[in-house]
Amino acid sequence: MSALNYVGSKRGKLVFAGSVYAALAALTVAFLFPLVWVLGLSLKTRLQVFADPPLFVWSPTLENYATVLQRSDFVQAFVNSMVVSTGAVTLSLCVGVPAAYAIARFPFRGRTFLFFGLLAMRMLPPIAVLLPMYILFSKLGLTTTRFSVILAYTTFSLPLVVWIMRGFFEDLPRELEESAWVDGASRQAAFVHVVLPLIRPGLVAASILCLQLAWNDFLFAAVLTNNNSRTLPVLMAAFTGGDSGTDWGGMTASGVLVILPVIIFSFAAQRHLVAGLSSGAVKG
Amino acid sequence: MAKRRSGAWLDRQFTRLAVLPTTVTMLCVFGLPLLFSAYLSFQGWSAAQGLFAGKFVGLDNFDDLLHDPDFIGSLGITFLYTAVTVTAELAIGLGIALLLNIDLPAIAVFRTCLVIPMMITPVVASACWKLLLDPGHGVINYWIGEHIVWLGRTDTALAAVAVVAVWQNAPYVSVLLLAGLRSLPHEPVEAARIDGASVWQMFWHITLPLLRPYLMVALLLRTIFEFRAFDNIYVMTGGGPANATMTLSMFTYLASFVRFDMSLGAAASWSMLAMSMLLCGFFIVTIRRRDTSA
Repeated sequence: MSALNYVGSKRGKLVFAGSVYAALAALTVAFLFPLVWVLGLSLKTRLQVFADPPLFVWSPTLENYATVLQRSDFVQAFVNSMVVSTGAVTLSLCVGVPAAYAIARFPFRGRTFLFFGLLAMRMLPPIAVLLPMYILFSKLGLTTTRFSVILAYTTFSLPLVVWIMRGFFEDLPRELEESAWVDGASRQAAFVHVVLPLIRPGLVAASILCLQLAWNDFLFAAVLTNNNSRTLPVLMAAFTGGDSGTDWGGMTASGVLVILPVIIFSFAAQRHLVAGLSSGAVKG
Repeated sequence: MAKRRSGAWLDRQFTRLAVLPTTVTMLCVFGLPLLFSAYLSFQGWSAAQGLFAGKFVGLDNFDDLLHDPDFIGSLGITFLYTAVTVTAELAIGLGIALLLNIDLPAIAVFRTCLVIPMMITPVVASACWKLLLDPGHGVINYWIGEHIVWLGRTDTALAAVAVVAVWQNAPYVSVLLLAGLRSLPHEPVEAARIDGASVWQMFWHITLPLLRPYLMVALLLRTIFEFRAFDNIYVMTGGGPANATMTLSMFTYLASFVRFDMSLGAAASWSMLAMSMLLCGFFIVTIRRRDTSA
């Protein structure tokens, strides 16, 4: 910890603290205003939304939320988003966790190849992979299915899972498995019964970070889905298309409903944010 | 008995089996598509044809690309957009991180509030800003008392989409840098303080050099991610007005999925890939060299 402290007179200290708080408060207002304003719009009637000058005080209404939740396309997109995100997370965990363990523990041929492959998956622009992926998927009859989106999402969630889990495995003392091996356990038995239960926090962190990325993705879903399989971001983009429409209340209410889950599970994983953000760049 | 034998085989092959699914997935969703688009970029091909029924055209697609004014324009716009957003994100993110690193009560409340924008779905964030910037009913025009069509003017549209990116990602940089600040050794700052250095001197000569590796990581990640900017531009301007926000991602998207010129799209894809690889390589070499010399 090298948190900064002000050293000096008591009065100087108060002035310093006051100016820090003032600066932070100004920043917080500036950064949160767009959200607060949009939240406000979602609680206004159609007339109130377009009032001139804008209303800063009004009696809030939930009618926009009621309308949005009754729209079948919104509910369908919500279900699609849930299926696709959880599918991508599950697939990436099943595929990636054993690999992360192997990379952390055992030397093997092709380790560098795997390493750079995953790094490239994370770092290279998705639009460049999307075109050939779309062509190959459509020849296989996979496009417009939710499964195709799940597969596409592994391009970012698999590297993330491997990187985060590798860090957790490396932090785990080797002696734990070694003693299991000495007792006659096979590698797979030690992995399943000794290692996996101990890295549950890592699994949770990796799932939440992947869930967040998958939930927020627009590009892959925009190309690979149709009206039945589209996810929430695709639906939102359709709402805002053209000259942003006139149903601001409905649009902002659905926007709030889209970001609410992601904000909740992001806060749940806040401790692990840094590990996820810098994955692949700090360790590597 | 048979079970035990298969167990022993599993045990011997454990590593190979553990990495097999990841390797296969990687090749299927990443390796093969990239190879296919590399092949496609040298072909004249349309979606109606069989996968390998195209005609070899050599470098024609890349030639078309280099003579496409939209593509050439998108190069400049992408570099400008990336440079501006990344600089702003690093500057603001560093500022926030330094403030949050000060030891005062209740500072965690601000930290929690300030990270919210980075969690928001980019499409939703862009839609929000589109409403804020609305010429007729947007609150921003109301405040400045003018009627500016932010997203419809060639001189303001790029700045408007950049603002959304900075708003979302400056907090991301601050989270990274705050973690860096927290991990710095305490002693150099203490020593400088005893020697009577000013706050500015301590920041410039001690904190900033120590923070350099974290700044480099933030710079690398933000450059890579802004270079591919798509969501905010798609939602807010669609690349317009008059191509003023046509980034490389947007160009590649339009060529591939709107004009359905798959060969040109593949060539554009590989141009982007090559540029990203150069960027990554450059950063990795820079970071490594610093690491080994220090």
